[in-house]
Amino acid sequence: MKRTLGWSDRTILIAAGFFFITPFLAAGEYSLRGYGGKGHTFANYTWILHQLGFGPALLTSLRIAGVSVLLLLFLMIPTVVYVQLGGRRWARLIEILCLLPIVIPVVSLAIGAQVAMPKRLQSTSYELCFFYVIICMPYVYRTLNTGLQAIALPTLVEASSSLGATPVKTLVLVIIPAIRSATLGAAFITFAISMGEYALAVLLHFHTLPTWATNAAQENLYGSVAISIGSLFSVWFLLVLFSYLPAIKGALQNKKVKVT
Amino acid sequence: MDIHGSTVEFHGVTRKFGNVVALNDFSLKIKPGELVTLLGPSGCGKTTALRILAGIDKEHSGVVEIDGKDMSSIPANKRNIGMVFQAYSLFPNMTAQENVEYGLRVRGVDSVARSKRASELLELVGLASQSARRSTQLSGGQQQRVALARALAIEPSVLLLDEPLSALDAQVRSQLRDEIRRIQKTIGITTLFVTHDQEEAMAVSDRVGVMNKGNLDQIDSPSHLYNKPKTPFVAGFVGLTNVVPAVAQSKNEVLVLDQVLDISEHAPSLVKGEEVKALIRPEAISIEKAAKGAVVITKSFLGPMTRIGIDVGLHDLIYVELTSKEAKKIDTGDHVEVTISSDSVMVTHA
Ligand SMILES: Nc1ncnc2c1ncn2[C@@H]1O[C@H](COP(=O)(O)OP(=O)(O)O)[C@@H](O)[C@H]1O
Ligand SMILES: [Mg+2]
Repeated sequence: MKRTLGWSDRTILIAAGFFFITPFLAAGEYSLRGYGGKGHTFANYTWILHQLGFGPALLTSLRIAGVSVLLLLFLMIPTVVYVQLGGRRWARLIEILCLLPIVIPVVSLAIGAQVAMPKRLQSTSYELCFFYVIICMPYVYRTLNTGLQAIALPTLVEASSSLGATPVKTLVLVIIPAIRSATLGAAFITFAISMGEYALAVLLHFHTLPTWATNAAQENLYGSVAISIGSLFSVWFLLVLFSYLPAIKGALQNKKVKVT
Repeated sequence: MDIHGSTVEFHGVTRKFGNVVALNDFSLKIKPGELVTLLGPSGCGKTTALRILAGIDKEHSGVVEIDGKDMSSIPANKRNIGMVFQAYSLFPNMTAQENVEYGLRVRGVDSVARSKRASELLELVGLASQSARRSTQLSGGQQQRVALARALAIEPSVLLLDEPLSALDAQVRSQLRDEIRRIQKTIGITTLFVTHDQEEAMAVSDRVGVMNKGNLDQIDSPSHLYNKPKTPFVAGFVGLTNVVPAVAQSKNEVLVLDQVLDISEHAPSLVKGEEVKALIRPEAISIEKAAKGAVVITKSFLGPMTRIGIDVGLHDLIYVELTSKEAKKIDTGDHVEVTISSDSVMVTHA
């Protein structure tokens, strides 16, 4: 189904795009300014790499984000599948629970929920993963739900089961591949939020990339903008890479099949 | 391929959804290698019966047996039953070949053996050249062929087909229908086929069971079902039937449309004066032009045959089928005299 855009649609799109892109361009330009605001150079970016603590902070954030993604997918995919397959009477309750974190302020989460975490967990930065799981749940729930609604889930599950697959095999071999783009989308939202989250990390005194960046920024204003732009683009780069990977692979495979 | 047909038995199976009785005391025995069709309108419980046999639906009373073995404690993925669904059941992330291999893959068969077997099956359903395609690159008919190959790949003891042709267009439908029957006979697999299309049911089946609101009204060979329907519902569902009020004149005779017919051949055992319904096939009625009497209201050309609707003074028209050549002589508005031949008239008390 193709729809042509009317002039009003175009105007809105262009205006919104302008609104969206201008700050990035401005920030990008700013981050490239030389010492004292003169000339343009990559010095601010190379500066980042030489800052004390950058490497460990980046690693911590990557680790936390990775674990959050895995935890969340592990938790949410079976849940959403279950809701769609017959747990319909629980659907409303689960939906409300999953959307609830949107309205809970992060501060109250940090103070309230932290007490509920096991002692052993409280002393490691992995504690943050559990908070990020909560924060990202609404977006992930929506994304996965939409993805599952787009496939003939009950039929696929029944087909797989009648062919001898256990529920776990069905999940891994049929369902997850069938909703790959939704799964990737959910993974990226979680990854991006976990990489960029600041308030919780600071409140709980963990050293992640955003907390490190805030400290570092106090010495070098250009550098701090370079950090934001740099992290933004690296996440974007990953996102584009991963979302095009299946398409590229698929295109290569399709070349072998002549479509008549 | 060595699939040995199994015996399938339903013993008094009942399934309720709230107040809806989807399946009511359903009993059926399918012989090894037999193809039995469940025929009935939408919502009569056909799918429910299949799902219970497949083990997908376990909330039922009564017993299902395969080769005499009670299936109650056996989950769907251990029943070894091949299923083909109405549509869209191919795994979207896999090629045709991978779909067919899937059942063997989850059984841990090594890749060489399963690839060989999948190729054989795709060959059998005429899709050997399409093995690398995904479902989006296959037509509806091709997808159903792959689904059939996939179901057969696990050498199932029973094959279940739930309206596998209903999403296809007419030509593909009759072609694939014949092919399913050919393959089923070649392999000799016990098959339960479900459809709401009586022509399809008649064409492929050893026996057809007509279902009505969760009940199995009658199960018989296609010709028996057509010629000796037990209920008006069956008569109406299997081919066109006129249902006409009649009054018993004696144990063996009824008065229908001013004619007394001897129907002792169908052993009705009527009580004189009893009001019954006569089920009359269109081909059992002949008409003759007359000066007055019944009036021809409709005339529809069906190819070699033409169907004529006649107002005989009842609430509904009665329908007659003539060869199109004969029908040329008759026009709408003509008066006709109606004669019924008694040998294929049935009565019911309903
Ligand atoms: N999951 C369900 N929940 C409630 N009612 C159902 C469900 N499945 C089937 N039914 C009801 O059971 C009856 C039989 O359904 P089904 O076996 O699917 O009919 P068919 O396949 O002959 O069209 C219908 O009245 C249907 O509404
Ligand atoms: Mg059905």
